[in-house]
Amino acid sequence: MKLLHALAPLMAASVASAATHSGHAAAELIAASTTYEAAKPVDAAIRITVDPEWHTYWTNPGEGGMKLGIEWQLPEGWKAGEVGWPVPGRFMTGELPGFGYFGEIVLPVTLTPPANATGPAKIGLKVDWLTCNDAACVPGDAALEVALSPGAAAPTPAAPVIAKAKTKVPAPVEGLKLEVKDADKNLVLTLTAPKDVNPAAFSVFQATPQVVDPAAKIQFAKSGDAWTATVAKSEYLSGPAKTLELVLDGGGLPHPATVTWQNK
Amino acid sequence: MKTLITSAIAGIVALAAAHAAEVGKPAPDFSAKDAKGSTVSLSDLKGKVVVLEWNNFGCPFVKKHYGSGNMQKLQETYTGKGVVWLTVNSAATGKEGFLDAAAALSKTSEEKWKGSHYLIDGDGKIGKAYGAKTTPHMFVIDKEGKLVYNGAIDSKATPKADDIASSENYVSAAADAALAGKAVTTAKTEPYGCGVKY
Repeated sequence: MKLLHALAPLMAASVASAATHSGHAAAELIAASTTYEAAKPVDAAIRITVDPEWHTYWTNPGEGGMKLGIEWQLPEGWKAGEVGWPVPGRFMTGELPGFGYFGEIVLPVTLTPPANATGPAKIGLKVDWLTCNDAACVPGDAALEVALSPGAAAPTPAAPVIAKAKTKVPAPVEGLKLEVKDADKNLVLTLTAPKDVNPAAFSVFQATPQVVDPAAKIQFAKSGDAWTATVAKSEYLSGPAKTLELVLDGGGLPHPATVTWQNK
Repeated sequence: MKTLITSAIAGIVALAAAHAAEVGKPAPDFSAKDAKGSTVSLSDLKGKVVVLEWNNFGCPFVKKHYGSGNMQKLQETYTGKGVVWLTVNSAATGKEGFLDAAAALSKTSEEKWKGSHYLIDGDGKIGKAYGAKTTPHMFVIDKEGKLVYNGAIDSKATPKADDIASSENYVSAAADAALAGKAVTTAKTEPYGCGVKY
């Protein structure tokens, strides 16, 4: 056990910075390969491990929370894609409804070198977060780094972790369609879904902040050929809703899904 | 039966909402003791612009605005213009940031707090009447006693003091409008911070 502890930093040294603990979470930047080839995307991820009994927040944090702040420091010409967020959980922080995570979360991201990339590349990331429990909120931050050198793909122990995390990021599912109608203080959501899924069994999360009341649990019920749910508007929505993205999970879906409505 | 229960619940929700402080309506009246033992009643402050600031010195979002001196500067500026600045602590006994009168006196002095009164709302009555959700959560009341602002202190919902300079301060905009007898442009925003710890 002691040996493992001693070895772990050595094993991780070339692929990732050791996890930095701050506030009530630790953060680490991991990559699927120690090497890169010009113009070929490299899979990476931000791994956050929240201390037991504490939580951190999703992109829609709900009330009073704060989503992760992410600021890349990339070598010239490199690009970082959108960070993928796994399906969150719902919780109350005191009296405030929120969405977020307990324990370990892995947020996959793709790093793409430019076509003319040569030599070693240092990928820097500044990340900050808020960890809360019922008694207190404590912010944390970390400056992370991963070093990649030119060469053919050389998978790291983090590769399967990142590959698995990618399958957990909500993505569109063929046949899912959302319509939203204003109804005074409520919104009526109408979902069209493929025959082989059961929206009544979905866990549904309001991904767009300040549209649906974060305290509202969205539960679809069969209505003709479609599925409907009536939910309270966010008190901070001014005027009619313009857009709404939902994250759906379970109910026979092949993977967590996103479905987005835009007012035309 | 199910319909009856549903409508009964809806009724309760509507009732609760009707009682919460609403922008454009008279601000809920209250009376409370400040840290020095004086009684402050909102109804006695008619004719003055009043700012309410929900406070908990243990909260990192409050520390952002006190550690940087931003909150004290706002307090000094607006009390200098005749605004009554009421800082309210609604944390329940034993919760993070709870202060009794003596502790509030020493803490406000240590923080160089510059408000008019530091109100102890240990039973959370004022906080609940206004629907205060976070610390900080800010309200502005005009000279006629009407609530004209309910929301965040500024536009950047982070605990980082570095963000203050590039933020839009909603409270100073609302207080300036109220002092000038003008309509408040941004009257409601989502407050950010820690929970109130009722």
